[in-house]
Amino acid sequence: MSRHQALDTFGRSGNPIIRSSAFQDKATSGDRMSLEGAVNKTGILLFLTVLSASLSWNFQGPLMSLLSSVGIFVGVISAIATFGFYFFFIGWIVNPRPHLAPKTGPIYAVGMGFMIGMISQQAEAMFPGIVIQAVSLTFFVAASLLLAYKTGIIKPTQNFVLMIFAATLGIFLTYLSSFIFSLFTGSSFSIFTDTGWMGIGISLFVVAIAALNLVLDFDIIEQADEQGAPKYMEWFGAMALMATLIWLYIEILRLLMKLRSR
Amino acid sequence: MNTLIAILGLLSALLFFYLLRFKASSKQTNRSNRPKWSKYIPYKDEERGSQSDDADFPDK
Repeated sequence: MSRHQALDTFGRSGNPIIRSSAFQDKATSGDRMSLEGAVNKTGILLFLTVLSASLSWNFQGPLMSLLSSVGIFVGVISAIATFGFYFFFIGWIVNPRPHLAPKTGPIYAVGMGFMIGMISQQAEAMFPGIVIQAVSLTFFVAASLLLAYKTGIIKPTQNFVLMIFAATLGIFLTYLSSFIFSLFTGSSFSIFTDTGWMGIGISLFVVAIAALNLVLDFDIIEQADEQGAPKYMEWFGAMALMATLIWLYIEILRLLMKLRSR
Repeated sequence: MNTLIAILGLLSALLFFYLLRFKASSKQTNRSNRPKWSKYIPYKDEERGSQSDDADFPDK
């Protein structure tokens, strides 16, 4: 009897034992994500980032510059392919594809590592000791927020998500405009380079938004684990966490540079 | 001074990876106003895709 004849004869089955999803859930119960798995993947991505950052820090030259540029470009493409690309009033230009994260996560980590290595090396040459301060502050902020999230002191709600999402999108659009502006004029918006109180205040605001993005990442990982999401969500959660940690580190480094150059 | 900051950073990193392994408190998870991430991140749809809930009878 063909599938269609069977459906015509017996109709659709409501019996959970006959439904294929019930079998699938049982068969794939070992392939569900876990918090432990997400932590391990975050560790792997952090290791890859530090490894490529130390390469671009230690080996300067045209070959490394080319490798870094390619790494950054591929890293950004990986991030867009996985997290998607959203624009005000238009919606999703590229849809999020979390199932790509096991492949794009390591590529992203290595690519961004090259960028961090370059930036950090230049910052350290100008202000000795600044990198260790920025790294320490980044982990201090991350650990504090994680503690606040786990204990329920910070509770993300729908409004909280919308607020952070809008602020993050606004910041990235400003960065993008500044980048396009610099292509034509050779200098970026002065609010980003200003070492006065205005510039420091803006940097503090951006650091706060980057830090609050961590809370969203924690909630994504926690909820995916509760709902028994597929295994690849471990990579997705880890990649989201790494992206926010990298952003937070860069913003803290920028803030410290402003403070030290006063 | 920098040594002290480095130690603080290392301890924070260890605390971060240690805390990440634990589930959040019930105060955090048992709320009705939690954002629903599966609405934005389509992992359910990706996994189940075109599969139906009906039994799969192979054609003979």
